[in-house]
Amino acid sequence: MSRRTLKVVGWRLLQVVPVIVLATFAVFGLLQLVPGDPAAVIAGETATAERIAQIREMLGLDLPLWQQYAQWLGGAVQGDLSTSLITGLPVLDEVLRRLPNTLLIVFYALLLAVGISLPLGILAATHVDGRVDRFVTSIASLGITVPNFWVGMILVGLFALQFGWFPTTGAVSITEDPGRALWHATLPAIALASSGIAEITRQLRSALIEVLSSQYVRTLHAKGLSQSLILWKHGLKNVSLTLLTVIGLVFNRTLGATVAIEAVFAIPGTGSLVVASATNKDFPVVQGVVFILVMIVILCNLLIDILYSILDPRMNKQ
Amino acid sequence: MITRRHALLGLGALAGSPLAHPLLGQPAFGQTAKKGGTLKIAAPFNPSTLDPLTGGTGSDHMLLYPLFDTLVDFEPATLAARPGLATSWTFPDPKTLVFTLRENVRFHDGEPFDAAAVKAHLERAKTDPRSAVKSELQSIETIEVLAPNKVALHLSRPDTALPLILADRAGMIASPKAVAERGRRHDREPVGTGPFKLEKWNDNDVVTMVRNPDYWDKDLPHLDGLTFRIITDLNTALRSVIAGENQFTYRLNPQQKVVADRMGAGKVVVSSTPTIADYHLLFNYGKGPLDDVRVRQAINFALDRDGFNRAALMGLGVPAQTMLPPGYWAHDPALDNYYTHDPDKARALLKEAGHADGVDIQFFGYSDQASQQRHEIIMEQLRQAGIRAQMTVGSSADMYQRFIVRGEGDMLLALWTGRPDPSQAFALVYGANGFNNAGKVPPPPEMAQAQIEAQSVEDPAQRKVAFAKLEKAALEFALSGELAFVPAIEIHAPNVRGYVPNLLGKPKFNTLYLAD
Repeated sequence: MSRRTLKVVGWRLLQVVPVIVLATFAVFGLLQLVPGDPAAVIAGETATAERIAQIREMLGLDLPLWQQYAQWLGGAVQGDLSTSLITGLPVLDEVLRRLPNTLLIVFYALLLAVGISLPLGILAATHVDGRVDRFVTSIASLGITVPNFWVGMILVGLFALQFGWFPTTGAVSITEDPGRALWHATLPAIALASSGIAEITRQLRSALIEVLSSQYVRTLHAKGLSQSLILWKHGLKNVSLTLLTVIGLVFNRTLGATVAIEAVFAIPGTGSLVVASATNKDFPVVQGVVFILVMIVILCNLLIDILYSILDPRMNKQ
Repeated sequence: MITRRHALLGLGALAGSPLAHPLLGQPAFGQTAKKGGTLKIAAPFNPSTLDPLTGGTGSDHMLLYPLFDTLVDFEPATLAARPGLATSWTFPDPKTLVFTLRENVRFHDGEPFDAAAVKAHLERAKTDPRSAVKSELQSIETIEVLAPNKVALHLSRPDTALPLILADRAGMIASPKAVAERGRRHDREPVGTGPFKLEKWNDNDVVTMVRNPDYWDKDLPHLDGLTFRIITDLNTALRSVIAGENQFTYRLNPQQKVVADRMGAGKVVVSSTPTIADYHLLFNYGKGPLDDVRVRQAINFALDRDGFNRAALMGLGVPAQTMLPPGYWAHDPALDNYYTHDPDKARALLKEAGHADGVDIQFFGYSDQASQQRHEIIMEQLRQAGIRAQMTVGSSADMYQRFIVRGEGDMLLALWTGRPDPSQAFALVYGANGFNNAGKVPPPPEMAQAQIEAQSVEDPAQRKVAFAKLEKAALEFALSGELAFVPAIEIHAPNVRGYVPNLLGKPKFNTLYLAD
């Protein structure tokens, strides 16, 4: 690894702390704005005011907000994500138990998105303004505008209820039964991938069009290189940085989109955990999920930075 | 002396009434039960806890019934008391209640179920700071073990509501040894005597139970296990049953019955039965403008209960006047048309109360989409009578808390889930210390008197007279605005047999089996 790469890694790692603090503090603050009281939820339907006050004290909810947050952060940096207010169970265990289900559909979706959008983008860019191009770009526009949970419901209606090819709900652990795990994850992954496909296709198309109309490609043509050699060797290599950036963004967005998709498919992942906990204002759980997801996003960005310097050696010299 | 047989008398009047629904209390098929198999249930809520005494939500019951037997059971169709863990009970005098207990019953941990266990359980229910049922057991002063199978409750006042109170959470007996050993862990690792034992509970994901091979009723359970998959989105739950992934789901909305009828034709069985749960408007009459009875009456005349039933419940509900449904044993049918839809009368009453230009009220409700729809219907009905409702919404726990405990707002739309004994409804909603009485204004004297009668007289016919007085007074003083009783809508796979819907609208899975 070059010095430059090491520097990138070091710099990214330094960013971790402020990003985590900012992200979790923002979430903590937003949760405070949401009406509701976890103590009231725990106390149940027939609770008295005294009982609720008692629970608030027990949970430390009567402390000033900054103190509640500081306590949580103090634990989090030592690897203790605290316990759920509602169930009293350790947050980290719960998040780690559910994370594989979420990561499976996210990576599956990413794979689908890249696998489908690469040929589509190339096809559109090499047939600019042709019928194929117009077809691909309109499909892509549709993919961006249609919300993915709606795509999910349509997929369930058609391929699960009508044809019975796929299950409508649930998840299977990938370590237990990989085949069934993928079978369960297919429809959610397609629903999640829909906007990614559109996004990557559009970006790839425009980047590739730009490269293919540049002066040096004209020179390559003049040198007598074949059309396909120019596309595969020079064209794609030059758009790889754009592609990588877009894939990184799509990954982050897909991770966020699981909140809705997991509800549609009843997948016990981190997205549905965040929804259930936010409804009860169970802030340690919400914070815990955000903490872990932010870590994953930072890790993903780091990986992309490293790939940048491998794909484009010029970056190391700058 | 009241015996169980007495309690059953007077309940038979249900036949031929609107509540005597052809499906209620009837097993769907009469063949012999097949043994084995695991029933997969899509459950719309993660339980709050699985300890009957510490949990606080009405949706926990579906998961508690398989794990715990209740001291007293109830007839599914009428909610009349019948033997449970207690084979019989008597009131030797109005302030003593003696239970005779079933013998040779053991908890899941092998501990014997006996009078000492009942005593320990009820004492915990009365004193544990985390107990959610304390208020229901206030009349019990001491508990005495008379014999291993006999226990006496000594009461501070006559309380004939107790047997049915013990058919609910308070009567779900947990193993005292497990409670002592596990402490708070018992919330998640409960030990009862029920036909199923808890195997695993992954929060917001799945709860699995396996058959209790030592269950006292040798015929039960038919199933090897129950799997509750927690699916909070009702549409997703519905789809999973239509697709055959789960075999049962409950608490569906009337709108979803239409979907189930259409999409699930031939694939699922749809059951819609009446319940004692109703939507009602709780009033805070501790302050203006609802401290004026004429304004409260005006609201009641402004409500179009039929319209509400048709628009919000697709006509599957039953319009309500009081918290007791038409046809229910304790309800007085003479009151069925007490308030009719009459906006002009409502305006006249408002004018009389000094609100000739109409009146503004703070209307509280919940933020989910279905609730918002109900609010819109009610606001429009009120508007036509000159009542301008200013809406505030939030999560149910929060809005309930703000309205009931902090005394904010004038009116709250809530779902009253009903109680096994009708006296509980009047005590909780209108009683001076009733939890749902937001303004904590004592009820009129004749109502307080009728409440005492309802809880102390022994004969069901006499109790009926007391309940009629309570209903009449609640209507006269317009202490709430009752809208409509909701239907219990469940769907299940065609091979799920033995399902018996009940009037509480809380399905019990104990008798179910899977046919070939």
